[in-house]
Amino acid sequence: MRLQRICLLQLLCMLVLCLSAYQSAAKESGAQTLSAVTKPVAAPAFELMDLDGRPHKLADYLGKVVVLNFWATWCPPCREEMPSMQRGWEKVRDEDIVFLGVNVGEDADTVFLFLADYSVDFPLLLDKDAKVIEEYPVTGLPTTYIIDAQGRITHRAVGGRAWDDDVLLDRLRALKSPK
Amino acid sequence: MALSATCVQAEVTTGQDADAGLPYWELREPGMSVRLVQRHPDQTRGFFLARGFSREDVELIAQSCVFQTIFRNTAPATSSDSLEYDLKAWRVQAAGEPRSMQTREDWAKIWAERGIAKPARIAFEWALFPTRQSYNPGDYNWGMSVFGLPPDSHFDLALSWSQSGKTHAAVIPGIHCAADAPPILEVE
Repeated sequence: MRLQRICLLQLLCMLVLCLSAYQSAAKESGAQTLSAVTKPVAAPAFELMDLDGRPHKLADYLGKVVVLNFWATWCPPCREEMPSMQRGWEKVRDEDIVFLGVNVGEDADTVFLFLADYSVDFPLLLDKDAKVIEEYPVTGLPTTYIIDAQGRITHRAVGGRAWDDDVLLDRLRALKSPK
Repeated sequence: MALSATCVQAEVTTGQDADAGLPYWELREPGMSVRLVQRHPDQTRGFFLARGFSREDVELIAQSCVFQTIFRNTAPATSSDSLEYDLKAWRVQAAGEPRSMQTREDWAKIWAERGIAKPARIAFEWALFPTRQSYNPGDYNWGMSVFGLPPDSHFDLALSWSQSGKTHAAVIPGIHCAADAPPILEVE
């Protein structure tokens, strides 16, 4: 009986420690927030090449919700969130939600090297001269804009997020059919 | 900004950053946190040499006391407590007069004068901590901050930010710039 109590106490302690560690990690990783833009504005148009040399125009994605992520390979929170972007994209790829990663200031070889360590299937576009990022109100990397099916910027996230979070993905799904 | 600031009782912690393995100084207040992680001059040299800067230009940065900075709006996600800061209002207090930090704009002038190629300038601009930023709850940035002091210097940082219509100020005391490694001896 006494042994059972000790085991139960140890189990409880472990649970408390695990919960505490989880809460601490969640706090450090930042809240899963998307800030709504007060007045949605038309997203600046662009045309950028992907790693295979194929052009991508933002206008090509009208009618879909676009998750437009500005990033760089050397940026720690960009690297941290990229796997979750891949998982998020895998969850919604058949739902008219598109993920576009706009690499800022680096060349294709650098991004290819990055992909040796990070598996990413959604389009990664090269903004080598930083022309496109200058058209968006970005001040730090990563910054992600959510563009609704009408081509308007509706939300912003500064810093990394866990993009495979279903709560966050549900918010993207809701933008496909605005009220 | 600093004139009307509410000076808070700063909760500053120091220790070793788990990722970098280098000392950090962190200020946590309700709704915000800022962590400064020491960067070794050799780390800075390596980073910018790999991005197109010459050895001479890299020394300008590496010898200027660089920290990795992580600034977060930690207000509850359900709140609307946006946070703003402006590095131009922050003061570096070392021996002598308080001085300003060296911002992206300051360095852009230096690089323009030195004719630095655009790819290197782009990398530098985005690697540096933003001069001004507005964070909503859950937002944060990482970036390098340059304090314009020689390696191995000590300083206090007087910083300010505004949140929910109030301006706050605090001091992080006793920050230590990383010492430079001794030069490698060249032998014949």
